[in-house]
Amino acid sequence: MAILVDENSEVLVQGITGTNAMTHTKLMKAYGTKIVAGVTPGKGGSEVHGVPVYDSVKEAKRAHPKISVTSIWVPAKFARDAAIEAIDAGIKTIVMIPEMIPIHDMLYVRKVAKSKDVLMVGGNTPGVISPGKSLVGMLPKIAFSPGRIGTVSRSGSITYYIANSLGLHGLGESTSVGIGGDPIIGCNFEDVLKMFEKDPETDCIAMAGEIGGVYEELAARYIPKMKKPVVAYISGKYAPQGKRMGHAGAIIEGNMGTADSKIKALTEAGARVATLLSDIPLLVKQALKR
Amino acid sequence: MRLYEYEAKRLFRRYGIPVPESMVIDNNIWELENAVFPVVLKAQTLIGGRGKSGGIQFANNLDEAKKKIEELKKMKIKGYTVEKVLVEKKMEIAKEYYICATIDRIEHKPVLIVSLKGGVDIEEIAKTSPESIIKLYQEPGEKLAPHVGRDIAIEMGFKGENCIKVGNAINALYNDIFLGLDCKLVEINPFISTKDGKGYALDAKMDIDSDAIFRHPELSDYEVIVRHEVGELTEREKIAKAANIPYVDLDGYIGVFPGGAGFGIAAIDLIKHFGGEPANFMDSGGGPTPERMKTMLGLLMDNPKVVAIFGARFGGISRCDDWAKAVIQYIRENKPKKPMIMRMAGNMEEEARKMFEQARKETPELFSNVKIYAFDTPIEEVIKETVRVAKEILAKEKKVEVN
Repeated sequence: MAILVDENSEVLVQGITGTNAMTHTKLMKAYGTKIVAGVTPGKGGSEVHGVPVYDSVKEAKRAHPKISVTSIWVPAKFARDAAIEAIDAGIKTIVMIPEMIPIHDMLYVRKVAKSKDVLMVGGNTPGVISPGKSLVGMLPKIAFSPGRIGTVSRSGSITYYIANSLGLHGLGESTSVGIGGDPIIGCNFEDVLKMFEKDPETDCIAMAGEIGGVYEELAARYIPKMKKPVVAYISGKYAPQGKRMGHAGAIIEGNMGTADSKIKALTEAGARVATLLSDIPLLVKQALKR
Repeated sequence: MRLYEYEAKRLFRRYGIPVPESMVIDNNIWELENAVFPVVLKAQTLIGGRGKSGGIQFANNLDEAKKKIEELKKMKIKGYTVEKVLVEKKMEIAKEYYICATIDRIEHKPVLIVSLKGGVDIEEIAKTSPESIIKLYQEPGEKLAPHVGRDIAIEMGFKGENCIKVGNAINALYNDIFLGLDCKLVEINPFISTKDGKGYALDAKMDIDSDAIFRHPELSDYEVIVRHEVGELTEREKIAKAANIPYVDLDGYIGVFPGGAGFGIAAIDLIKHFGGEPANFMDSGGGPTPERMKTMLGLLMDNPKVVAIFGARFGGISRCDDWAKAVIQYIRENKPKKPMIMRMAGNMEEEARKMFEQARKETPELFSNVKIYAFDTPIEEVIKETVRVAKEILAKEKKVEVN
C-alpha cells in the first residue's frame, strides 16, 4: 500500500533532459522506481539513462498506458503548462519539483487538479518516497528505511533528518512526503494526514512544520478526528519577525504563523510536539506503546 | 516586489483608476513651481506606518512645500531613507472606502474586499457591521465580469457616470492589475468620493509576485524598476542578496552553514536549545559552485563575531560530492582559521568522503580544524559539539563562561 507511490507506480519524468532531472532519473532508477518514460518537447526519440524520451505527455502515455505518476522537473516558469499537460493526459498524481512558481499559476493548477481528482505534491517539494518500493524526486535514499511511520514535512532537509533520526532508533517509514516550502502548494498537511489515516501500512505520523502560513493550524483542526497518533515538530522558534527565512512561505507576518501559535494549536489538538529532531523517534515509540 | 506609491499610481493611471494630479520630486525641486496649492507631500517608502511617523505633510504655498520636502528627505521611516516625495493635489474628501485584491491562502482563492466604511480598523468593522464589507471570492485565473465592478460602485453610492467610472476602476484593479500583473496584493486605502460625487484612489499599495516578474517586461515601460525586496539590510545581507543567497544576520557567534532552508531554520532553534548563539540564518542548499561557496563561507569567516562554524549537508538535489569539491577548494584557497564542525550524508556521500580523505592527506595542516561527521552521528551531537568548541574559544578570549 503506502501512499502516493508504491512498487507498482509507473513514473514519468517531465523535463527529463535537464541537468537535475537527468541526475535524479539515474538515482530514482537505481532505487528501483519504475521510471518508464520522460518528456521534453522537441527531444522525442532520444534516451536518458535508458529511459525513452517523448515530445508530449500524451505520446508517453500512449506508449506506456500504465503511467500513474509524473514528476515535473521543468523550470518554474513552465511548471503550470507541464502540470496542465499531465492532468489533460489523465495522470492522477503529480510531484512538482520546481520552486518559485508564480503564485497565480499555482492557484490555477491547484484548482484544475482538485476538480479532476488529481493529487499534486509541491511545488518546491523534494519528492515522495515509499522506502524499498519507490522514490519519486530527489530524496537521498540513505536517510530512509521501510517501516510503518508516515512522515510529512514542508522542508526537504527536515524530511531527511527526521527519517535519519527514526532510522537511528530502528524505525522506518511507510511513506515520506515533502509537501513543499512555497506559499501555495498542491497538498497540505491535512490532505496528507488523511491519506496516512486510511493507509493500513502506517501506524503513526511524524509531521514537521515551520513558521509562516496556516497549514499547521489547519492540520490541528483535523488531528482530533484521527485514530492514529501524530508527532509534530515545528521549526522557527527563534526566527526574527519580518525576515524571509529561505522558504518563500517561511516569514512571520504580524502575529500570523508564529512557531508558538503552531505549537499551541498542535498540542491542543492532541499531537505530541517534539522539541528536538531526536525527540521524534522517542515520542513515536511512546505513542505506539499506548 | 513591493512598489512605491508613485509607481503604483502610474500603473493605476495607465489602467484607468482615477488618482489625484501629482508630481514626483527628488532632485527636480524647481518643478514645484507648477504645483497647484494646497498640496499633500507624501514620503515614498515601501513600508506602512508612514502617516504615524510624520511622513505625510501638507503645504499651502511654494515656500512651505520646499521647506517640508527638505525635512521629509532627511527623515528615516522605520530605517528607510526617503528619496522621493509625491506631491499631490489636496482632495476634499466626502467619504472614505477601502478596496483590496489579494490571495486568501486558506481558501486558495483570490479575493476582492471592499469596505464601505473605509479601511481604518477594518477587522473591527467586519465584526461590528459585517454588511459594510463586500468580500468576493473569485476562481483562480477568472476575471471579474464587467457588471461586478459597477454593482460594487453602486453599493458604494456612486451615481450616473461616476458609477461607471468607479466600476471600471474596480474591474481594472482586479483584472488588469491584480491578475494581469501577477500581484500578491493591490490595496487602495483610502479610496474616496469627493463632494461632486467622483471617486479617487488616494493611496496605492502593490506587491507584485517576484517569481512572475519575468513575464512582465511592460513594467519598465511605466518606469517601474525591477529590484530585489528592499529592507534595512546589513552589509553582509547585501552581499548575500547580490549573490542570491538567502541570508539573515543574527546576533551570535556560531556561523551556520546548514544546507537547505528548512534545516537552516531548525538549526537556529537547535543551537539556541543547546545554549549557543547563532550568528546567522542561511540557505546554503542548491548548486554549490565554488564561487557561491566562497561567498557563503566568506560571509561567516569574515564576520568578526563568528568563532566557529556549524555545517551540514544532507545531499538531496544538491549532491555531497559537488559540495565537498567546493568546500575543499574554499579551504585550500582561503586557509580559514575558524574551526568547522560539520556533518555530511546523502546522495554521493561515499565519493565526497573519499575527496575529503584525499585532501586531508595532501594538506593535513589545512584540515586540522575541520571535522566532518557522517550519517550515524545524530545532528544534535554535531551542534552540541560546535556550541562547546565555540564557548571554549570565547572563554579563552574571556567573553563568556563555560558551563
